Amino acid sequence: MPSRRGAQNDARCVIRDEDQARFSTVVLPHLDDCYRLARWLTGNRADAEDVVQEACLRAFRSIGGFAGINARAWLLTIVRHAAYTWLGKNRSASLLVVDDLEAVERQQASGASAFGQEPQTPEAALIANTDARRLEAAIAELPVPFRETLVLRDVQGLDYREIAEVTKVPIGTVMSRLARARRRLMQRIAEGEEKAGS
Amino acid sequence: MTTSTTDPRLLVHAYVDGELDPANALELERQLANDPALAAERERIEALRRTIAERLPREPAPAGLARRIEAAVGARPAPARIASHPSWRALAASVVVAAFLGSGATWLALPPAPADADMVVANHVRALMAPAPVDVESTDRHTVKPWFSGRIPEAPRVVDLSNDGFALVGGRIDVIGRTPVPTLVYRVRQHLISVSALPAGRAVAMPEEQIAGYNVVSWTDNGVTYWAVSNVAAADLNAFVKAFRAAAPDGNT
Repeated sequence: MPSRRGAQNDARCVIRDEDQARFSTVVLPHLDDCYRLARWLTGNRADAEDVVQEACLRAFRSIGGFAGINARAWLLTIVRHAAYTWLGKNRSASLLVVDDLEAVERQQASGASAFGQEPQTPEAALIANTDARRLEAAIAELPVPFRETLVLRDVQGLDYREIAEVTKVPIGTVMSRLARARRRLMQRIAEGEEKAGS
Repeated sequence: MTTSTTDPRLLVHAYVDGELDPANALELERQLANDPALAAERERIEALRRTIAERLPREPAPAGLARRIEAAVGARPAPARIASHPSWRALAASVVVAAFLGSGATWLALPPAPADADMVVANHVRALMAPAPVDVESTDRHTVKPWFSGRIPEAPRVVDLSNDGFALVGGRIDVIGRTPVPTLVYRVRQHLISVSALPAGRAVAMPEEQIAGYNVVSWTDNGVTYWAVSNVAAADLNAFVKAFRAAAPDGNT
């Protein structure tokens, strides 16, 4: 008969074993998605790996509390949190520029819009011809809240409700951030084209 | 989605993303038809989405990352410890087994069988109390077997055991769990014997047992598990089972 302490250790061991099995089925299938979000938020591979590893350890510690509804959204929430912690330490400035962008947006909205004045839409064709490198650079330039919203929607394919859950904002904010992020991207692409053309 | 904003330049994004509810989507479609600038914005959004989907590289996680994470999470060699000590699950299972062994059914590996045995006995008791113990009454197996054929997927093996002292009374359909089960009834002297036929695997065969004063015998032949229950003496029931199993298979149609 094992001692009481021995039995407790065994029990903990088994729970750990179950957690590991659950971790393998819940977390590991979404590792690519986790890495991509971390990559877009940190801006480089090495830091993305650190962020994902840290997030996975957090996920492992709290996997007992995961209700099992939407593993991907649950994980991306943890990854985002870990990435924000990393940004706070290493790129604290990147978390502060949102107001600037919103001011720019308001200014543009009050004046004549860059788009929408012309009945023709040459921009659609132009956008369709953007190469990957320029697109990547334009997304990387987006302030974090807009970048993550755009990446979650247009790269990762989450719906608005999931994005609201991951980024902890109302669905209406998801929509307006997405609209701004996309408009900003289009603008950058048009500007880049002008520079390249001139 | 339902939204309080009415700015079509915002809503067009939700429209492209398939997030507008039908009423708002219809309204936006009407606006798209009347507003070329809005329609152009929609085209740009769709072009942007397509370009991101098609051109942006989707970099997978580096190969080593999953391994490193697994190593970080499962650093302790837990399985080795579990192998050297009984886990709580194994302990719990042994408690169940011990409780079961204590119940007297020492030959059973799985607990479901007693539930089936109980139901076989319950069906037999109910049959004895009903106006008739059978649904179809006939000493002729050529009458009894076709009666089953029209009611359940597979009619049971019906054998004539009159030469062994067991007269066919007829048949009925019992229900065990949620499964309709064909049951034959034989008479020996003034006692009735019920024989139920279940698909093998549904029940676990077991040797004779007494439940609530009734003798119960179960066996499996050709993929069918039989349960015989009666208040005749165990020796008589065993003789019946022996005769039933020995009855020529080619004489059962």
